[in-house]
Amino acid sequence: MEELQSIDRRRFIRATGIAGAAIALNLSALDAFANGRMQKLTILHTNDVHSRIEPFPMDGTKNQGLGGTARRAALISTIRSKEENVLLLDAGDIFQGTPYFNKYGGELELKLMSLMKYDAATMGNHDFDNGVEGFKKQLHHANFPILCANYDFTNTALANSTKTYQIFKKGGLKIGVFGLGIQLKGLVDPNNYGETQYLDPIQKANEVAAILRNEEHCDLVICLSHLGYSYKNNTVSDQVLAKSTRNIDLIIGGHTHTFMDVPEDVRNLDGAITTINQVGYAGINLGRIDYYFEPNKGKRIKVGSPYEINNRLEA
Amino acid sequence: MSIQKNLYFLSISILWIGGCTATGQIVKSNREEYHINSSLPVDSNIIKTYLPYKTALDAEMSKVIGYTEVDLTKNSDVPETVLGNFFADAVAHQAKKIVPNIDVVFPTTKGGIRNDIAKGSVTVSNIFELMPFENQLVLLELNGSDMYTVISYIAATNGQPVNGLKMKVVNKSPENVRINGQPFDKNRTYRILTSDYIANGGDEAKGFSKPISRKNIGLLVRDALMKEVMEIQANGNKINSKLDGRITVN
Repeated sequence: MEELQSIDRRRFIRATGIAGAAIALNLSALDAFANGRMQKLTILHTNDVHSRIEPFPMDGTKNQGLGGTARRAALISTIRSKEENVLLLDAGDIFQGTPYFNKYGGELELKLMSLMKYDAATMGNHDFDNGVEGFKKQLHHANFPILCANYDFTNTALANSTKTYQIFKKGGLKIGVFGLGIQLKGLVDPNNYGETQYLDPIQKANEVAAILRNEEHCDLVICLSHLGYSYKNNTVSDQVLAKSTRNIDLIIGGHTHTFMDVPEDVRNLDGAITTINQVGYAGINLGRIDYYFEPNKGKRIKVGSPYEINNRLEA
Repeated sequence: MSIQKNLYFLSISILWIGGCTATGQIVKSNREEYHINSSLPVDSNIIKTYLPYKTALDAEMSKVIGYTEVDLTKNSDVPETVLGNFFADAVAHQAKKIVPNIDVVFPTTKGGIRNDIAKGSVTVSNIFELMPFENQLVLLELNGSDMYTVISYIAATNGQPVNGLKMKVVNKSPENVRINGQPFDKNRTYRILTSDYIANGGDEAKGFSKPISRKNIGLLVRDALMKEVMEIQANGNKINSKLDGRITVN
């Protein structure tokens, strides 16, 4: 974080003319808020819920009593009653972890997510646990799209069942969401992923994010990633992804079951902010990120991302 | 419900040149994390939806099939755990009733152990949560060199749940390797029992790709665990696994 700030300070000094613009923008942002022209978007997110329908049982283990879909649903409803523009997203590994999955194959997980009005999810490695066919079989229980940009399902039962990205329109804003999955070889039984082709996530992310930003003109670009937060070796992770791409504002991560104290802000290839967040696993936590947007003024040169970040909600 | 976090500000200005027809620009972002615990109300519609599933499942899953005198706790940071030993020994004991001649059992990776079992009664559900996957047990005959690759993988990952294998791990390499009390012999073949997931290279496991022979023994990993817990109970005993230094580091 310190590094981020110091580098920005240097840029700030070098571009003094722009610095003035940044201050002006901040002032006009306050003005916009006062005039009610500022748009607010609330992103809610989970990852690696792993079939945790009910809270962990009260059996003396570490997570006893935590999580549970009934509480999560009530919390989401409360937030929806206060916020106009809400997106609810999941970063994969919906399946596997309690007997609900073994007995019902994921039907209940997807039904409950539909009741909570999830807007989109991506696939984690455990979503392949009953094979591509097993996922396909349950898919009709989901009334939200499954987004996978770097799995090619052409020769599998999931052909045409997932989407590369989805664009959501909320309060005049356009939000582009796409999904990235982890390398399946070595992690998932080959019988379960079959002919699924894994494509380079960095390359795909840059390709899709550029479409969302430049062709679809999205105000916000979100990646649902099941790559994992960080690795000691150079395996592709959310940290690697953030640094190696442009046009992604937010990476909602999963796979590594990481309980992050606060979201991490990384400088991407454009020097802009790509935020990474992941909220543990099993539905123990629900993540929330609010974005405030000011309408564009149609200037040709504009100051990108001079935005203020706060690890608590607006009072 | 609202958790105060470290508050920090980040004001960043970056040049972003080029035309853009998006309608808005981010000027601020606030974040929060909600903990889902018993202080929150519940949505009765959700409970109503899952209740029929739960009732049917509970009838099957809440059945007590045994007792453990010790906490069975997963920990991927140490070479040997009581839970890992219980897991490997249980699978070995049950599998040997089907195929007696097995040298080493490596039934799961540390990461494949998915939940803890607390001291006390053990239910069907506990075993499902410990081992939720539908993995088959497979018996492979390996030449000495491939067997050593497997042993090296176990050492490189700082130990895995095993039965029949004893070794020291020094700088992530195996030393003083003994198989059923005998020093490791590269010139003979070994019969190793593992899961189909591991045998197919899951968790980057090495050494299984060119076996002399490979066959399913017709037993799921989870069913082996289930049978062992029930058998201990039927014999009037309780689970009481211990550490025995089968794999040590340094």
